[in-house]
Amino acid sequence: MKALWQIVKLELLANFRSRSFYLLTAAVVLWMTALPAFVKSDGTSEGARQICIHYSLAGAFAMVLMALAGAAAGSLSRERAAKRLQLTAVRPVRFFTIAAGRYLALMLVGTMQIALAGGILTLKSDMDLSRPCDHLLSPVLPSVWEEAEAMYSVYMQDEETPEEVRKMDKREVIRLLAAKAPDHYQTVATNETARWFFPDFVPSGAVKVQLRFTNTYDTREDVCGLFRLGCAEGVVSNITQAVAKVPLAGMIDQVVGERVLEFANQGGGSLMLRPRRDIKLLVEADGFGWNLVRALLELTAILSVAIAFAIFLGAGLSRSVAVFTVVAFLVLALVSPAVVEESDEFASNKYDRIGIRLARVAEKITRPAGSLAPLEKLAGDICVEKSEVAKTILLDFAVYPLVFIFLAALAIPRKQDLA
Amino acid sequence: MEAEKVIELAGVEKTFRDFWLRPTVKAVDGLDLSVARGEVFGLLGPNGSGKSTTIKMILGLLGPSAGSIRLFGLSPRSIEARKRIGYLPELSYLHPFLTASETLHYYAGLCGLDRTTARSRATQLLEMVGLEEVAGRAVGGFSKGMARRVALASSLIGKPELLVLDEPTSGLDPVSTNEVKTLVKTLARGGMTILMTSHLLADAEDVCGRVMIVNHGKAVAEGRIGEIGSSLNEFFLAKVGEGRDFKVAPFLQ
Repeated sequence: MKALWQIVKLELLANFRSRSFYLLTAAVVLWMTALPAFVKSDGTSEGARQICIHYSLAGAFAMVLMALAGAAAGSLSRERAAKRLQLTAVRPVRFFTIAAGRYLALMLVGTMQIALAGGILTLKSDMDLSRPCDHLLSPVLPSVWEEAEAMYSVYMQDEETPEEVRKMDKREVIRLLAAKAPDHYQTVATNETARWFFPDFVPSGAVKVQLRFTNTYDTREDVCGLFRLGCAEGVVSNITQAVAKVPLAGMIDQVVGERVLEFANQGGGSLMLRPRRDIKLLVEADGFGWNLVRALLELTAILSVAIAFAIFLGAGLSRSVAVFTVVAFLVLALVSPAVVEESDEFASNKYDRIGIRLARVAEKITRPAGSLAPLEKLAGDICVEKSEVAKTILLDFAVYPLVFIFLAALAIPRKQDLA
Repeated sequence: MEAEKVIELAGVEKTFRDFWLRPTVKAVDGLDLSVARGEVFGLLGPNGSGKSTTIKMILGLLGPSAGSIRLFGLSPRSIEARKRIGYLPELSYLHPFLTASETLHYYAGLCGLDRTTARSRATQLLEMVGLEEVAGRAVGGFSKGMARRVALASSLIGKPELLVLDEPTSGLDPVSTNEVKTLVKTLARGGMTILMTSHLLADAEDVCGRVMIVNHGKAVAEGRIGEIGSSLNEFFLAKVGEGRDFKVAPFLQ
């Protein structure tokens, strides 16, 4: 433990005395305080709040992530190039301790910066810490694979299905249909009632139905009907917003049994919606303050994976290669989800499909470091669930860093120019 | 009774390879070496003879391609062996942002010393190398000689049983060189085993009990200083060769 503490202290002193810590702190403070003044908002308190979360906090986090991942990649490789690593390596210290000490020191710096950014956010006048957030529940539907299997024959008989797709292997077409399942539409005709199951629903506070219309069909003005969940009801009519939240009033705590949300379409036209994306139940959870803490914990966990990975790279590669690789990895991690989300493989040619597949693989590999989902949830008043945080902490604070530090410990003595 | 062997090398080879694992240089070729407890052993040889590679293998910084290396009967990469070693590299390689005192405390911590012992030893060592006045100054601003003294002090902070010195007097003025030589002799009298390399044969002659001369990675001679018969300089040249005369470039004539 003494050796570990010495290495942590050395790395911290390197950060403090090279002034990189103070520069990063100043950049975070400046970004958090000055940026909202330069970004044009819609003038409302809600608009200012969204800017603070989407631009200031996300930007400050990206800055800390890039700076510390770069520092981590350079940490061991710089020491090795300067021949200082050999003086530590000949002492009775395990290589694991050398790598772990640097990881812990940089995590300490990163945690301080993220806490600082979060602290500044709470001081903003638009941030009401008691503002409630909601648990977001999705309906339970048949699996995307079952749905894809069911759709396959219909799709292949459709005259508009491209010839190229008809020639494709059945498993490949089913995989593509499964990938598109979240965009499948359900039609609720006039005077018809649709039902969605929410088995995870536990009545614990105020409940709302969230209807989200982000499709290209102009349906939002025509929606008119009644939502019912057990004895609780909510009326919807003349929706003019892309996202509508319909409160359910009544004996909500008496909802037992199958937990079915019903929607009776009483409007003049059919309602088209994508049940996987457009219909959710919102159940009141705790306040913004606690949600912010959970979101910051998740961001710190993302930082943890990035730092551990960068230390591993620095243990086996030269400084410039390690820094380039980690920055490329982070850019890939941030970009690949957008490519996967926005791409339509049916409408793409063969070469584009190869690119999309590569993006999918990259997205899978970089998923632990690639998601800024906690900030999106925070901005949307959606609860960052404790179970998600616990899972992230287990994987990103414990499993992945341990693996990367172990690999770094193996790489240190194998790098011949250690001496 | 035979003295305990502190360093034992048997048939050690080191071949460096390129990216495609093709052999490029054979730096050490079948070296056998044995150093007993309390000895001051000099590893001598011209530039590129394999001295530094041998030292790095003894310290566990490089693995041998063939042969075996034992320190105190243990693998050089074992924690137990590393607890008993002190190392002064050819250049000081200090962290420039640490003060002299912090440097010693850092290495004391790596050796597992508690705070009281670390403080006491750091104070004594800084006094020993004459840097107590500048203990709080960052070593990045030190002269080469001062940095060398800090590096020497840090190699001794763990009270090693084996001290490996790579060109210990490099960068030191004549007075400091004499001080270092006296220190090495004192440490040896206290029972410390010392392995050193030096280009300055007079230094080796003054402090070493036994020397080995290596050339092209092979041991070409080994013997006790008193038994060599001539001066170490003559002995060295006889074994390694006189070298070549520089033919002055015509435009310089």
